[in-house]
Amino acid sequence: MKARTIDAFQVIADPSRRQMMHLLSKDSMTINSLAENFDMSRPAVSKHIKIMYNAGFISIKDIGRERYCTLKQDGFNELQDFINYFDKFWTNKLNKLQSILNNKSKK
Amino acid sequence: MKKEIKHTFFFPHPKAIVWDYLTKPELVSQWLMENDIKPIVGHKFKFRASPAPSIDFDGICYCEILEVVTLKQLSYSWKCSPTDNGHKIDTVVMWTLTPKDNGTELNLLQTGFKEHENEMFYMAMNNGWAKNIEKLLQKISSN
Repeated sequence: MKARTIDAFQVIADPSRRQMMHLLSKDSMTINSLAENFDMSRPAVSKHIKIMYNAGFISIKDIGRERYCTLKQDGFNELQDFINYFDKFWTNKLNKLQSILNNKSKK
Repeated sequence: MKKEIKHTFFFPHPKAIVWDYLTKPELVSQWLMENDIKPIVGHKFKFRASPAPSIDFDGICYCEILEVVTLKQLSYSWKCSPTDNGHKIDTVVMWTLTPKDNGTELNLLQTGFKEHENEMFYMAMNNGWAKNIEKLLQKISSN
């Protein structure tokens, strides 16, 4: 699993990552306390965190000796960009259909 | 935040004309995209649009006709941006024609964003957390 090349849709396709984001949606958490909720190795948890971080779903802040993960909007925006793109796409296309048909009736 | 795409348009034309513009390749391409559509259930076809690099969209939509009710309803699958495990966008486009006021009302509904995608859209929509987290971070930082 390469951490860098994963896009937003792939990030949220993984159930563990979604679970992590749900936990983080309630509160910022340290990587350690996040890991306590999962039956997986610490390196596996770190890998998921790195993936979410790279895709802009979380930010990481060092406070004292702990690393805090916080949910971030950027990753979600990428998902939303897709919907917005197609929403605008259909509006443009349907306007075009309307003007074609309107011209047709004038003839 | 939206989970589905919905549009309603009215055309002062009989539904047979609107239907032709949804199902005949040479007419569809005039307003939508280059295509090889046929209103036959199971027919697979492609739409070719301009790529949109900003959302990593190569401009090709892979479609298959799912339902045809002549002059009334047409639906097809709509998949874009192939990835290693399928498509990024795997949705259904449904057109519905309804006669109305000396014309035709055309409804477009694009649904079927995957359940977990919808779930995440919903979660992102819940903006409350962002503020709470900010507060918490401030608290932690000031300690």
